[in-house]
Amino acid sequence: MENLIANFNYVIVVILMMIGLWSMLAQKNLIKKCIGMAILQTGIILFFISIGAKNNALIPILTEAAYSDPDVATVANPLTQILMLTAIVVGVATLGVGLGLAQKIYHQHSSFDEDEILENQRK
Amino acid sequence: MMPSLPIWQFDVLLLVLVVLFAVVALSIRNLMGAAVVFGAYSFMMCLIWAGMGAVDVAFTEAAVGAGVSTVFIVSTIYNTSATMRSRPGGIAFKLFIGVVVTLAGVFLLSALPDFPDWGDPNSPANATVAPYYIENSIRDTHVPNLVTSVLADYRGFDTLLETIVVFIACIAIYSILRIETAKSKTDEPEEDTATAPPSYDPSDSLIVRQASRFMVPFMQLFALYVIAHGHYSPGGGFQGGVILGASLILLAISFDLKFILRQWREKPLMLLVASGVCLYATVGLACMFTGGNYLDYGSLDSVLPNDRAMARSHGILLVEIGVGITVMFSMLAIHINLASNGRFDRGL
Repeated sequence: MENLIANFNYVIVVILMMIGLWSMLAQKNLIKKCIGMAILQTGIILFFISIGAKNNALIPILTEAAYSDPDVATVANPLTQILMLTAIVVGVATLGVGLGLAQKIYHQHSSFDEDEILENQRK
Repeated sequence: MMPSLPIWQFDVLLLVLVVLFAVVALSIRNLMGAAVVFGAYSFMMCLIWAGMGAVDVAFTEAAVGAGVSTVFIVSTIYNTSATMRSRPGGIAFKLFIGVVVTLAGVFLLSALPDFPDWGDPNSPANATVAPYYIENSIRDTHVPNLVTSVLADYRGFDTLLETIVVFIACIAIYSILRIETAKSKTDEPEEDTATAPPSYDPSDSLIVRQASRFMVPFMQLFALYVIAHGHYSPGGGFQGGVILGASLILLAISFDLKFILRQWREKPLMLLVASGVCLYATVGLACMFTGGNYLDYGSLDSVLPNDRAMARSHGILLVEIGVGITVMFSMLAIHINLASNGRFDRGL
């Protein structure tokens, strides 16, 4: 239990990822699938940021006093942050591709519903 | 060990709220509502990250997740439909997926005891390579914002390829949605403007137009500041580029898509998207011609006025500008494609 409270972030990460995964698998609406994908992705980003966080640490921008000899323990981990920073921007671009595909499908089948699209294709 | 910070309870509240917003965004039946709740979700997420000291990430998420991606979803819905058809049945399938997903979640949670405690400065992720960046960034590059120096210098290849991914995504949306203009001319009813001049268009508001006319210059100035000052404060090419793109998207929404298309035609737009990536790659090549490795800005000191560390700082600025250009115009191009359904004539 102690461990669960100390690692509450990771529990939320798993819950968010599973909510997103459930939406991608179970929801029939294509836009909802896209939103689920984005939620899964933010869950993973939260995971990386939680890994890089340090107790009582400052943001990863050095103050002028720390220029010559920065104390590693008081500066948050910049590495996980930059990996996630680029992931967010790539994420919005891929979300755009997903929405573009959904829009194309809608104009051919006039529906976002997966079952209706499959029925249309069988005809 | 439990962290004894007072901020910790606030974090728990935000984390619970985030899960709540995620559930609401996925269960709400109106898609427009889902898009707005998703924006709120992103904003809560951004607060959590800022609380953990990831200010650059929070900044990016505020601009991208809460801003631009919500606009993308809204402009897709504008072109299609916001209602979800309710169909009977399928509960068993959803429950089955629910069980599968819960099992996967339990499986992942079973690894929880092996994790180092949250915020442990000696955890493997914090203790191996990251201290090098913290200790040497100033000496190597003169950049106090460690995120910027790692992003554009130490891990320059990573960022170059991420920028290329954004560029490729932009091309992908073009190839999926773009329709020839000739087809769109026949699609558009010519008599539409002549026979039905709407006396009052509820989507066209004078207040919104004038307000955005005032806001856009300040947004763009701020975005340029964010790019140029990214060495010393949160910000950089990605954030500034997204804000610049958002300022143009704001114009496109508050006025008319035609208004923005008069200024940014299709071909220059695509050339500008490509030119950002080219600028980044060219800086890398210039490093090779001055005797260093690819993207090793230190060798640029033979061309640039100052010493090696300062040359790396200038190199970072150059590639950040490249990133900013690509991100700005790809955001605009993706929005135009989604909002006009690839026709490049009218839309949201």
